[in-house]
Amino acid sequence: MTTALNEGDSRQTAVPTGIAASPLLAPWAESPSTVRSYLSLIRELAVTSFKLKYAGSVLGYIWSLIKPLMLFGMMYLIFAAFLLKGRTSSAENFPVELLVAIVLWTFFADATTTALASIAGNGDMIRKAYFPRWILVVASTMSAAMTLIVNAVLIFVLGLLFHWYQVGWQSLLLIPLLLELYVLSLGIGMLLAALYVYYRDLGHIWEILLQLLFYLSAIIFPFSLLSPQLQGLAAMNPVAQIIEDARRAVVSSAIPWSTDLLGRRLVVPLVLVIGALGVGIWSFQVLSKRFGERL
Amino acid sequence: MSKRFRIPLDQAGTLQYRFSHPLSSARYRDLLAVNDVSFSVRPGEFIGIAGPNGCGKSTLLKMLSRIYAPDRGRISVRGRVSPFLELGVGFKPELTARENIFLGGSILGLTRKQLASRVHAVLEFAELVDFADHKLKNYSSGMTVRLAFAVAMLADADILLLDEVLAVGDARFQQKCFDVFGHYKRTNRTIVLVTHDLGTLELYCDRVLLMQGGRVVADGKPSDVISRYRRIVGAMSDGADTDPGRLSTALTGRRWGSRDVEITSVRLLDRQGQPHQSFMTGAPLTVAVDYVSNNLDGEFACAIAFKRADGAYLAGPNSKVVPESVPPVKVGFQGTIFFRIPSVTLLRASYTLSVGLYDDHLNHAFDVVQDVLEFQVNDDRGRQGMVDLGGTYGHTFTARPLEQRSVNKAKDQSTLA
Repeated sequence: MTTALNEGDSRQTAVPTGIAASPLLAPWAESPSTVRSYLSLIRELAVTSFKLKYAGSVLGYIWSLIKPLMLFGMMYLIFAAFLLKGRTSSAENFPVELLVAIVLWTFFADATTTALASIAGNGDMIRKAYFPRWILVVASTMSAAMTLIVNAVLIFVLGLLFHWYQVGWQSLLLIPLLLELYVLSLGIGMLLAALYVYYRDLGHIWEILLQLLFYLSAIIFPFSLLSPQLQGLAAMNPVAQIIEDARRAVVSSAIPWSTDLLGRRLVVPLVLVIGALGVGIWSFQVLSKRFGERL
Repeated sequence: MSKRFRIPLDQAGTLQYRFSHPLSSARYRDLLAVNDVSFSVRPGEFIGIAGPNGCGKSTLLKMLSRIYAPDRGRISVRGRVSPFLELGVGFKPELTARENIFLGGSILGLTRKQLASRVHAVLEFAELVDFADHKLKNYSSGMTVRLAFAVAMLADADILLLDEVLAVGDARFQQKCFDVFGHYKRTNRTIVLVTHDLGTLELYCDRVLLMQGGRVVADGKPSDVISRYRRIVGAMSDGADTDPGRLSTALTGRRWGSRDVEITSVRLLDRQGQPHQSFMTGAPLTVAVDYVSNNLDGEFACAIAFKRADGAYLAGPNSKVVPESVPPVKVGFQGTIFFRIPSVTLLRASYTLSVGLYDDHLNHAFDVVQDVLEFQVNDDRGRQGMVDLGGTYGHTFTARPLEQRSVNKAKDQSTLA
């Protein structure tokens, strides 16, 4: 402030004029809590990827419904109509069982594969901006969950019209079952996303493993087709346990609960689910330190 | 703090390699990108980090922003750091400007409610109110940059980290950026800028760190550090992309003429004869025009026009009207014409320079290049207007007796009442 003309500057700091008057630069009255800002970022990323997934395609969201329906149609033709014809006790319910299983399976496959690429596919964001990296994994699984919810609601309403389901109090169990499925997908997704940054072969490996798991998860055949020992073994697979219990909850009371099959060994799928989340979080924590350099 | 990168020599990261070389451990070349660097920055400081390519300056910035974790040492930060190193991170071309504001803003940690209250301010600042619902992919690059900058400013951070961010955008937009940075400085916030552009460092930074080979080799006033940088770049002799003087050789402006004498390069030189793109008011400036005679034996004239970035024609001194004229040439001659300004009287703004070589009577154009160079003038004294007239204020006064003043005051009050 050596010259008289500089008085203009000192006035500027007192009453904002010019650029400082822009509402853009006004300080925020309050800053949101960490949890709230993470939640809003997850929501924004999930909604964006949901929107972008079908942007530019004519049928848009409908595709995410057509894909599981196509899978259902094929599996139904091959297994229910030809191979298993007359061999199951609950044959008339099987198409609905298959449909429920395929909708849940599609979510699991969708969530884990998008989670796998969620870090490596966002290299630009990771290299140029800082935010907690796990948010990308959660957002990608949430976007898959949004597809699941829309699909499930559509199929559920359709099924109610045609009396496909046996809805009762037991159907409320769907909520913890879906939660279990989400936790499992998130845990596996975290592990895959972190490892995929370092080992790109994982993309192919997971594709193969998913196919294997598809046949191990009693999606295309009812549990009742297996011998009792095998049923007990197969139900330890959390994906199979979730799908089978979901079928019991909404489709048919003829299907046994997994507790009936597993007894006290019910802890096995539950421990696997919690374990997957634990291993996922731990490995992500360790490996995420060098994401910035590896991408 | 230090940062070591392990650069794999083999494709050890794929399973194919792990299976075919089960016994060998992965081989790496260690690169110490940032080596034992230590410094502290005060609130309100505008600090620049300069250095040749690969000197570790971007790595350092990434450690400051927590994108990289240091291998040794620690970084302590007081206050909120803006999470963006570059503009437009996370922008999706398929989304509209409005949607991208919400997306970018949420990376900054803002909630939807907060963002909704500022969407209009962002659009207004970016001058894109009419394009709010257009998809980003239909934007020009300039529009995208303006939007990205406005979104980044939502952060209201205590510390801004910026990597080469100002290499984009037109001169007017850059000016707007620096006005914002000025506001940040006045509100006691810190800016750390990594850049190749020596002009920016010299004009805006309070302090410059010079890095070389992962170490800080100089830390101090911009003018001192920059001259040191020039020596390093000169010694390395590969600084082609960082040497501002080279920009002039592109001769990219509108050009015409018979080319009997041809302009080969135009440079702006500072006091030490170094090429420069920014000058201080009052500093000496020399325009150097390199030419070659393709087809002329005899006299010719040189004309230079100075314009402000908005096109206002400021001065057009040609060699026929200034005392020293251009000597005659022979075919095959090449030489350099200097136009020396002992003290720049222009004030802070962007300017362009046009250069022409004409015949001795200024009738026939040999080679004219319009707007061949763009340069900045900055003024550390905040003078207003276009030019420094160089005048001085004088002062005379007579003291009035004290009683008379209080009588006058009483009179004023009575008339008011």
